[in-house]
Amino acid sequence: MTYSLGTYAGRLFADLGAEVIRVEPLGGLPDRRRVMPGTPSEARFAFLNASKKSVEIDFEAVAGREQFARLCRDARLVLLERGGPLYDRIGDVRASMPSAVVTAVSPYGMTGPLADGPASDLTLQAAGGIAWMSGRIEEAPLSLPFDQATMVTSIYAATVSAIALVDAEATGKGHLIDVSAQECIAHSLQNALQVWDLEQRVSVRGGEGTRDATEDIFPCRDGFIFLAAPPALGGSFRALVGYMRDLGHPSAELLLEDRWQDREWRLTREAREAFRTILTDFTTGLDRETLTREAIVRRIVLGPVSRVSEIFADEQLAHRRFFSPMPVGGREIAFPGAPYRMTPPLRSAAPAPALGEHDKEIVGEA
Amino acid sequence: MKPRFLKGIRFADLTWAGAGPFSTKIFSDFGAEIIKVESATRLDSVRTGGPFKDRKYGVNRSGYFASRNTGKKSLVLDLKSKEGQRLVFDVIRKSDVVSNNFGPGAMDRMGLSYEAVRAVKPDIIYLSMPMYGEHGPRAELLGVGMTISAVTGLMWSTGYRPDDPVGPGTHYPDHAANPYHAAFAVLAALRRKRLTGEGMKIDLSQVESTINFIGTAVTECAMTGVDRPQTGNSSVEMAPHNIFRCAGEDAWVAIAATTDAEWQALARAIGGAELADDPRFAAAHDRIAQCEELEHLVTRWTATRGADEAARTLRQVGVPAALVASSRHLIENDPQLGSRGYWQRVEHPELGNSLYASPPYRIDGERVELARPPLLGEHNREILAGLLGLEEQEIDRLEAAGVFK
Repeated sequence: MTYSLGTYAGRLFADLGAEVIRVEPLGGLPDRRRVMPGTPSEARFAFLNASKKSVEIDFEAVAGREQFARLCRDARLVLLERGGPLYDRIGDVRASMPSAVVTAVSPYGMTGPLADGPASDLTLQAAGGIAWMSGRIEEAPLSLPFDQATMVTSIYAATVSAIALVDAEATGKGHLIDVSAQECIAHSLQNALQVWDLEQRVSVRGGEGTRDATEDIFPCRDGFIFLAAPPALGGSFRALVGYMRDLGHPSAELLLEDRWQDREWRLTREAREAFRTILTDFTTGLDRETLTREAIVRRIVLGPVSRVSEIFADEQLAHRRFFSPMPVGGREIAFPGAPYRMTPPLRSAAPAPALGEHDKEIVGEA
Repeated sequence: MKPRFLKGIRFADLTWAGAGPFSTKIFSDFGAEIIKVESATRLDSVRTGGPFKDRKYGVNRSGYFASRNTGKKSLVLDLKSKEGQRLVFDVIRKSDVVSNNFGPGAMDRMGLSYEAVRAVKPDIIYLSMPMYGEHGPRAELLGVGMTISAVTGLMWSTGYRPDDPVGPGTHYPDHAANPYHAAFAVLAALRRKRLTGEGMKIDLSQVESTINFIGTAVTECAMTGVDRPQTGNSSVEMAPHNIFRCAGEDAWVAIAATTDAEWQALARAIGGAELADDPRFAAAHDRIAQCEELEHLVTRWTATRGADEAARTLRQVGVPAALVASSRHLIENDPQLGSRGYWQRVEHPELGNSLYASPPYRIDGERVELARPPLLGEHNREILAGLLGLEEQEIDRLEAAGVFK
């Protein structure tokens, strides 16, 4: 019964063969009702709900409630979300299904002053601390694109649900998992919490004071590359200088100056600006493909900054046959493949269900 | 609570740095025995990467390492030595899972290929998570978390304006997508093993895992053939939707009017009935079209208020709003995290009483209590004597022979 922050959790179970049923009130859960063909909402729905089943239930009618009760009898995991069906009746759900795991997903958790606080993907990224960490220092903090509050919350919800199921199946005793999106995001801030706790420094967007001058995006002839050649990856820096030398580029000598041995200085704005000038002078004459190819051979930590539209032609993904055809919106598209591969192969994806598509199969009525 | 849900499961865990150890941490937090097999000569980069207690370097003083390795055991072995190899295989024989996040071929070179491991432990679950997969034309590309953001389109798409990528400010794929996709796959494999007695190989390409984390946009691009425009904090579906400057140094509030009703409430709060009733902004598409003017109005209001006050005022009238929280704010001043007991302090011989984020959920109303991370090689004797049954003298001999380095 998740419809936003928790939707990807069910998807992960469904791809592995669990029967994941979207239990939808008449007209559908809110995410379905928001779908408008040809808009991002259609793609979002198709991706987050692939492999699931759907039943449409009239919760207002006695017959509907009976159908739902029958459905619950065999369910081992119930996924609920604030604002969706039964979230305000979690006590009843648990009482009627004492051996099931009930995972309740919400923006701020079930308790605390913000338990009912209004929220969105953007405001949760702000409240969880990830927006603070991205962007340029001279501009506003920058949130991450593409439903990251949903993705982070869902993946934590899925893993803890799977763990709680281990115990529930062993003991016959269910659990209630109260997943907070804000906490999930705050759990994914690299080392920023420890940087404050142990060194009383605040990690801030732009990385000044925490990120090496070489770890950044740099322009090249046909776009951008991302480079990382900090002292911790010393081989990358040496290989980069070697590449410059082999091409007879003067940037090599500049990077051999003593100051580049100074780890602390390399964290400063001055170092960042100096490195940018030196490196860009080198990369502007080269294209992404050449730089990437050389990076592989020379062991430089460098890769192309690709557009989303370009990954469909990524040679590595093509080699691994990552994308596979899937009908979405009335035609076949290249659908993202598995996040992991299993041998033997046990995971597959099927199209997201139409509303009530599995009524007959699951509740015995069409 | 100290949940023992995964008691009896054992990992021979060769993961290091960020993403790998973060995925095995969840198992130790729930009672599995995670034996972190590490080298004292080629140290885990987060042991040496800091931040350090009192800013003083030390292999047991890194908070980054601590945050990724709670509750694990550390077994230091020289895997290049014959006896180190033999011992790691002895640990593997008694393990359910072997995990690594090395580059392609590294496990093979250490004699720990899937085939070699399966030969001694046929029901092993073997997790590998190289960046771009084991084989293929770019399998050997070296990368860090940000490289994964770069090649997947996430970096390109994270920006204020077109053709000016900024990217996430962290090695973002290391901190959610990849560790937890891996953990979920291992949990599924463990369940299958309970049911069938069979192990399996899990091959997680961190690039492919991360593409799934932006799967909504990838699916959209597959449908439309075009990239979603880079719009910073604003949205193509709603307005106002942005991060706005507030009174105070580097103070910001995020505000999102996701429905007409929320816009009405926002407008009333910042401009009264006149703004709320302005027909030019009644519909979402009108607000998106006149986004700049609207954002100017919102900024005029936020700029004279503190971020916390602005966020509270708007939330009270039903508008999604939040102060843009720094790490310090989250730890010291966030009333929600504080009230839910999110922060834990755990004693450690070298880190002292240091701070940890709890796993981001409550179970049956309680927090998962974390156990401290291991010192380098702390559990060598315990594991070799207790698990492998070696005599003290034999352990002394191995130590003298330099196997524990």
